[in-house]
Amino acid sequence: MTKSPIPYPRFPGFDVMEQAKHWDQVTRELVESRLQPPDGDSFFSLSERAVAATLCDQLTGQHEDPRIPVVQMIETRLAANRTDGWHHADLPPDRRTWQQSLRNLDADAHEAHGTDFPTCSLDQQAQVLTSIQKTSGLWHGLRADEVWNLWMRYVCAAFYSHPWAWNEIGFPGPAYPRGYKNIGMNRRESFEVGQEHPEQGPVPHQ
Amino acid sequence: MSRVRDRNNSAWLLPTDGTRTNHRQRREMRRYAESDEVDVVVVGCGAGGATVIQRLARAGFSVVGFDAGPFWDPDTDWVSDEAGSHDLFWTDPRVISGTDPVPLGANNSGRGVGGSMVHFAGYAPRFHPSDFQTATLDGVGADWPINYEDLEPYYQDMEEELPVAGEHWTWGKPHSYPHRPHPVGGNGEVFQRGAEAMGLTAKVGPVATTNGRFGNRPHCIYRGFCLQGCKVNAKASPLITHIPDALAHGAEIRPDSMVSRIAVDDRTGKATGVHYISDGVEHFQRAGTVVVAGYSIETPRLLLNSRSALFPDGLCNNFDQVGRYLMVQGAAQTSGRFESEIRKYKAPPPEVSCEDFYETDPSKPYKRGFSLQTVAPLPVTWSEHLTAQGHWGADLRRRMTDYVHWASFGTLCELLPQADNRVTLDPQTDQHGLPVANFSYSMCDNDRQLLDAAQTTMEEMLRAAGAAETITIKRFAHLVGGARMADDERHGVVDADCRSFAVPNLYITDGSVLPTQGSANPALTIMAVAARAAEGMIKSAQAQSAQT
Ligand SMILES: Cc1cc2nc3c(=O)[nH]c(=O)nc-3n(C[C@H](O)[C@H](O)[C@H](O)COP(=O)(O)OP(=O)(O)OC[C@H]3O[C@@H](n4cnc5c(N)ncnc54)[C@H](O)[C@@H]3O)c2cc1C
Ligand code: SF4
Repeated sequence: MTKSPIPYPRFPGFDVMEQAKHWDQVTRELVESRLQPPDGDSFFSLSERAVAATLCDQLTGQHEDPRIPVVQMIETRLAANRTDGWHHADLPPDRRTWQQSLRNLDADAHEAHGTDFPTCSLDQQAQVLTSIQKTSGLWHGLRADEVWNLWMRYVCAAFYSHPWAWNEIGFPGPAYPRGYKNIGMNRRESFEVGQEHPEQGPVPHQ
Repeated sequence: MSRVRDRNNSAWLLPTDGTRTNHRQRREMRRYAESDEVDVVVVGCGAGGATVIQRLARAGFSVVGFDAGPFWDPDTDWVSDEAGSHDLFWTDPRVISGTDPVPLGANNSGRGVGGSMVHFAGYAPRFHPSDFQTATLDGVGADWPINYEDLEPYYQDMEEELPVAGEHWTWGKPHSYPHRPHPVGGNGEVFQRGAEAMGLTAKVGPVATTNGRFGNRPHCIYRGFCLQGCKVNAKASPLITHIPDALAHGAEIRPDSMVSRIAVDDRTGKATGVHYISDGVEHFQRAGTVVVAGYSIETPRLLLNSRSALFPDGLCNNFDQVGRYLMVQGAAQTSGRFESEIRKYKAPPPEVSCEDFYETDPSKPYKRGFSLQTVAPLPVTWSEHLTAQGHWGADLRRRMTDYVHWASFGTLCELLPQADNRVTLDPQTDQHGLPVANFSYSMCDNDRQLLDAAQTTMEEMLRAAGAAETITIKRFAHLVGGARMADDERHGVVDADCRSFAVPNLYITDGSVLPTQGSANPALTIMAVAARAAEGMIKSAQAQSAQT
């Protein structure tokens, strides 16, 4: 299994997968499957996928391989139409909002930088996104905040369900059937790892 | 303990070999033919529905409980993982609207036998006596046609059957709990410390989680995945607290069966059974009485979808009451950063509560109040707290690495019932071609003032406990109302016994019937109301058979 390529190593040597043998089988198989190349159905067209992949890279700050395969995880979800069970009355259902918003994003890139969103520089991409995030009201006819929240909801649900992301934040993942014995402030299990620089605040690795 | 067992043997019917489901009991479950007229069908096997199924089966009624979702097996269907628990939620389409639209899905309702309690956090407080009379006492909301004393014995029964663990409760009407309070984790310690520094009272509990063995249910292992379904059988849900006993008394559970319409005889005006869809095929089950318990969104939707010549605007909707006065609690969560490691994912999210601000404070400009509790978002949910502050990209990633240092509290604000906060039918349809629910929600001034006050209090408590920085995410939780109980049909849909005004053999026994919501988590009250309604149904059946 590949060691996780985390760029923010606050918990040195911590690898949740070392504990996988202690998890129940159903959970273990599910989490292990996230470390395999995704094999879900496709949903996006080629050009949509390129824009979506760039968007996911930006929103998760992943610009090199190996990556947590966020865009593939989202595509699998959309292909199966596994929504969260609601959508805003003034926004189309999730699948259509994804497709429309990717097109709109590409159009913004063309307008601001004269090229496709994926071929913009990283800074240009970030600029396009920042201006969408700062839009109050409509963006190409859709509520900007609702679209932004939809993106973040899908992106984070994928990213933070991956064991590499858990390593990065010191979360040991599944806890059945073992559970925890040392609960309380500043108490750790033998398999939880302390931090290199616990005194550092929330933005430690600038 | 023997008394509970005499009343409800569920915990003793679960396996003792480390597995969680009594498969034999399910295999040997009684099955009724569709042509049989069963005494009662119950739509929805959640908090309210399962309680009624168990009570009626025990009293000798023939009962079939329908649920749109699966008959869960915690061993094979549930995982100790956030994203993998997606299927516990009601994810069929729903539309949300209004000035303060309420996201549904994971955060609000479940699907499958056990209902939303499968993934509820587990807090099981009672309402306060004042909650039943807010119109009289405070000039807001509504008075219930019953009062606290009417529910009290059912609260006690349910606390024993779940069972509930906690310290002696001094708020509302003081009472004790059958199980001792659980030890608390880092998050709970912060809450206790903050409360003490501010001169507030904090109490451990009340949670519907075994502390010690209960029947064949083991002790909680403090694994923190309560909102993903308890694979241990330690946390209560009707799947393990009421359904096993119901099966033992001849009830049938028909899972994966979506009730699409309640049938009413145009001549007699009585309900005759339910149409339901299973494996894409429509069926009809005849029944003497129909009980609806599908949650505050699906119950009104089902009534509105059950149109007939007698009820052209939807069943029980002659006075335009169905779907109205739907409530949700203002459930903002505030988190604080500590130098110490909190690691809030350890121990159950529900640990400690404070109800000091529950009642109307005459010195404040707003009516009613709020409660405060610990909450403990896991990574995916925690990321929502940070994205709500506008973080994304590398900035989000760095901040997420700080997860173990943050403690989180939640409030439940008693937002007021309003007629226009309601479910209507949307032109959009689901996979069965049934119109979906559109839930419109808008807050009033009192609501906003309460939310501000609650957020300020949480920030103060966290700082008093030593937090250097706080962040808040605004959210809602716990839908109730939508088919409320009232004195008459112009003000509600059901009477004090949960019988509909419009159809004499139609009952509603879920959270929909609540006229106010207090600042307490609703599940225990829903179960108590349902148990009381079931007793009423049993008594009226006995009275009828005595007559004939
Ligand atoms: C994340 C979360 C945390 C929560 N935490 C707490 C807490 O700590 N304490 C607390 O008291 N409450 C909590 N709640 C709320 C609590 O779980 C609900 O209020 C309660 O379960 C509602 O009971 P109910 O009977 O109204 O509906 P449910 O328990 O939701 O049951 C409804 C059932 O009906 C079924 N159904 C619906 N429509 C149909 C149909 N047409 N045909 C067939 N079946 C149908 C559904 O599949 C479902 O199983 C929480 C809820 C959530 C989502
Ligand atoms: S913390 Fe306890 S109650 Fe919650 S899921 Fe784990 S074992 Fe069950």
